[in-house]
Amino acid sequence: MTSSETIDLVEDRALDPVGLGSGLTARQVSAWFGEHKVLDRVTLAMPPNQVTALIGPSGCGKSTFLRILNRMHELVPGATLSGTVAINDIDIYRSGLLVTDVRRRIGMVFQKPNPFPAMSVAENVLSGLKLSRHRSRRHDPADLVERCLRRAGLWNEVKQRLGTPGGALSGGQQQRLCIARALAVQPEILLMDEPCSALDPTSTRRIEETIAELREQVTIVIVTHNMQQAQRVSQYCAFFLAEENAPGRIVEQGPTDKIFSAPDDPRTFDYVSGQFG
Amino acid sequence: MTRTTELLRRDDGVVEVPGDPAVEERIAVREFQGSDAIELLGCAFGAFCLTWLVYERLTPLSGGLGFFVSWYALFLAAVWFVVRDRLGPLEARDRLARVVVASVALGLLIPLGLIVGYTFARGFHALRPQFFVQDQSRVGPLSPATEGGGSAGIVGSLEMVGLATLMSVPLGILTAVFLNEIGGRLARPVRMIVDAMSAIPSIVAGLFIYAAFILALHQRQTGFAAALSLAVLMLPTVTRTAEVVLRLVPGGLREASLALGGTEWSTVRRVVLPTARTGLLTAVILGVARVIGETAPLILTALGNTSLNANPLKGNQDALPLMIYRLIRFPQTASIERAWTGALVLLGIVLVLFIVARLLGGRGPGHIGRIKRYRLARKGLA
Amino acid sequence: MYRSVARGGGALTLGLMGLIGLFLTVRSWKALHAAGLGFFTRSAWQPSFGQFGVWSALLGTVIIAVIALVIAVPVAICTALFVTEYAPPRLRRPLTSFVDVLAAVPSLIYGLWGRFFLQPRAIYLSRFLGTHFGFIPFFHTKEAGSVASYPASTFIAGIVVALMIVPICTAVMREVFSQAPPGEKEGALALGGTKLGVIRSVVLPFGKGGIIGGSMLGLGRALGETIAVTLIISPVFDPHSLTHVLQTGGNSIASLIALRFSESNEFGISALMAAGLTLFVLTLIVNAIASAVVARSRSGAATEI
Repeated sequence: MTSSETIDLVEDRALDPVGLGSGLTARQVSAWFGEHKVLDRVTLAMPPNQVTALIGPSGCGKSTFLRILNRMHELVPGATLSGTVAINDIDIYRSGLLVTDVRRRIGMVFQKPNPFPAMSVAENVLSGLKLSRHRSRRHDPADLVERCLRRAGLWNEVKQRLGTPGGALSGGQQQRLCIARALAVQPEILLMDEPCSALDPTSTRRIEETIAELREQVTIVIVTHNMQQAQRVSQYCAFFLAEENAPGRIVEQGPTDKIFSAPDDPRTFDYVSGQFG
Repeated sequence: MTRTTELLRRDDGVVEVPGDPAVEERIAVREFQGSDAIELLGCAFGAFCLTWLVYERLTPLSGGLGFFVSWYALFLAAVWFVVRDRLGPLEARDRLARVVVASVALGLLIPLGLIVGYTFARGFHALRPQFFVQDQSRVGPLSPATEGGGSAGIVGSLEMVGLATLMSVPLGILTAVFLNEIGGRLARPVRMIVDAMSAIPSIVAGLFIYAAFILALHQRQTGFAAALSLAVLMLPTVTRTAEVVLRLVPGGLREASLALGGTEWSTVRRVVLPTARTGLLTAVILGVARVIGETAPLILTALGNTSLNANPLKGNQDALPLMIYRLIRFPQTASIERAWTGALVLLGIVLVLFIVARLLGGRGPGHIGRIKRYRLARKGLA
Repeated sequence: MYRSVARGGGALTLGLMGLIGLFLTVRSWKALHAAGLGFFTRSAWQPSFGQFGVWSALLGTVIIAVIALVIAVPVAICTALFVTEYAPPRLRRPLTSFVDVLAAVPSLIYGLWGRFFLQPRAIYLSRFLGTHFGFIPFFHTKEAGSVASYPASTFIAGIVVALMIVPICTAVMREVFSQAPPGEKEGALALGGTKLGVIRSVVLPFGKGGIIGGSMLGLGRALGETIAVTLIISPVFDPHSLTHVLQTGGNSIASLIALRFSESNEFGISALMAAGLTLFVLTLIVNAIASAVVARSRSGAATEI
């Protein structure tokens, strides 16, 4: 069965492999809340081991699109979609594929940091393994905690207090803890939904550094409202826009340099140069 | 770099949509699919067959209870193995939890159905119009169940609950207004005490009225004393529900009224209470439903009476629950049957009250009902 | 003027509670004075001979409540989880109403149903437990084989009381579970968690206070239940036979008061007042603990019980 296939795939991966991010391809994706259409036939390729930024004004469907990429969209009552999303040519909406497997391979970091407040820092990092089946057999848990926290750029700040509750950390630390938690289940793709919007500039810079380092191992898709951030961290960029009373769609996509220096569409130019939005 | 452009280009190649691009097929994503239901049914059936085989053919076991327990255990085991085989242990555990939680929760339907159904089956036989107008003063030990009725109890219950409502509702709403609109240092202890009061055992409320009203003031056991004890029990229910309802009244309304020069009192009287009217009615009905079936305090304060006594201030009075409790302990079938008829009437009253409360409570504060709208229309306001 | 009236209303409610304690204490003084501390250790109830104590009734009350709690709490947790997590959104409101209907059915009707419908059937369950699990001290029985020794037991009273408190426990737990932070739930799902995983890592830890508080509230109600218990048990005053919970014989303070009230003289009533005072204090303590637990928990701040 397909599910056991994907489990084996994950089983065989070493902890810190380089270049194992997978490509994610969305084709003709539309989305509805009830009968209200919010996304119209979006097609986007998110290449492996690159950072793809989704930019655009509020309400244009970028977050909805991001949530479709790891099957979180369907949690909203009345939400539906059409089209295909494929990770390495496997359609994640194919029946018979376990939604839990999909979400384990495609991790997510949310806008508001959401560590489990009652669990300690170390337990938070390991929580994904506990949730998504076996405790790590091959690796020493303490070792795994350290590696993940290092990769998330949090280790030096919390190594003395791995036992304190996750809720006791500062906002920026909580967000990096969430990144470490997502990394512990070894996702191939990491989705980030405005991960810095609730954070101060210092924490934001730390997280941007983290993203740059992570790119070596995972594919990253990030939603951001911050143009400078998109320019700093991403290699590819997709500009979403919802015209009045119309569902959101991609106006322009391409290498970040091109989008910011010489966009084809005048609307893109207006947005990235701060004319509106 | 080249690889990605290739990817993009390949995508661009796929963009052409065959046929009408406006028609998009939505993906059906369901947490619980039809095939899962078939799987569950299969497990249930398989477990049933196996249990039947063990019970009827292989071993001398017998008994419906054991059969059911074995069947359910086998069913759970079957679900576990089937799902584990197909989707792995993690999903199997999840499915097992889902099945157990759902079967326990839906299993709760069974007792309610049985209670209502059994009361109906036992009580329906002797239910007839005379039940509501006759009392039991002339019922002998050998009279059939169709003789005599519960009028004494019904009248008594209505009077006691009515009096209790008159006493507890103003005090309860006043307390709720105090907690919600005034507050202050006293609010915390009062809220705590109201909480604690809702936990008073009903028999203790009866003892209290017996001590404080009947013994201390040298009164007799009357319907009024019973109403006092019911009011004690009703007060916390009314207060808590009313407090929740008043909290739902938007603060903006209050500020608007105060800004227009209204005093605090006129704000409460003309704005807050009318806005929360249906909610307050719900509070009253829930309070009534809480006490109308109370028996324990009445044993101490009203004593009961086989003949109709419509005066709550003088003489012992009967109440519907009291009548049921009295009749049920006689050995005669006719007496027990009469008790069940009483129980059916009582259950009916409670259910009707409850449904009315639900229907009213389903509307938000400030909802204008049909009757009110009609009245407003006549005044030319709406 | 309006302020003082409303404040007076609040104070009156406050005063009422004090009056209850005061009157019960005053009226039970005579009996408590005569019996001394022996009131809490003696088991027999013969006030006219000066031999009376609340021990066996207290023990019976607690045993019934504990049995009820053991049955009701898992059922309530499952029901609350089903309503908040598993049931389709369409079904949530009807299910909630349905549980509330269960709460509205008078205890008298539960008692009748328990005595006439449940008891003749539950004795087979009692016998089943007695014969097959008799080795567990709690299920110990004498003459396990005969069905005749099983009716009117503490166990059956416990089942009926359990049914009565399930809706109360469920209401509190449902309220708390429904407030479990959606962000944390999504976080658990995004890590590849199943629904069970979300419940175990987010909903239950968050709702711990509600589970404890709801159970304590149910316990308070179970301790004070009068009529349903009175209709089922046949009172015994021997603390040793009270431990055979599956078999005939049981006791509770509330049913002691209900059964003995009409046949008591002035001194007997004073003794019953003392028993009522004991029950009153017991339920107050349980309820105070419940409120404190719920208020202290993370979820408690915004929760009504």
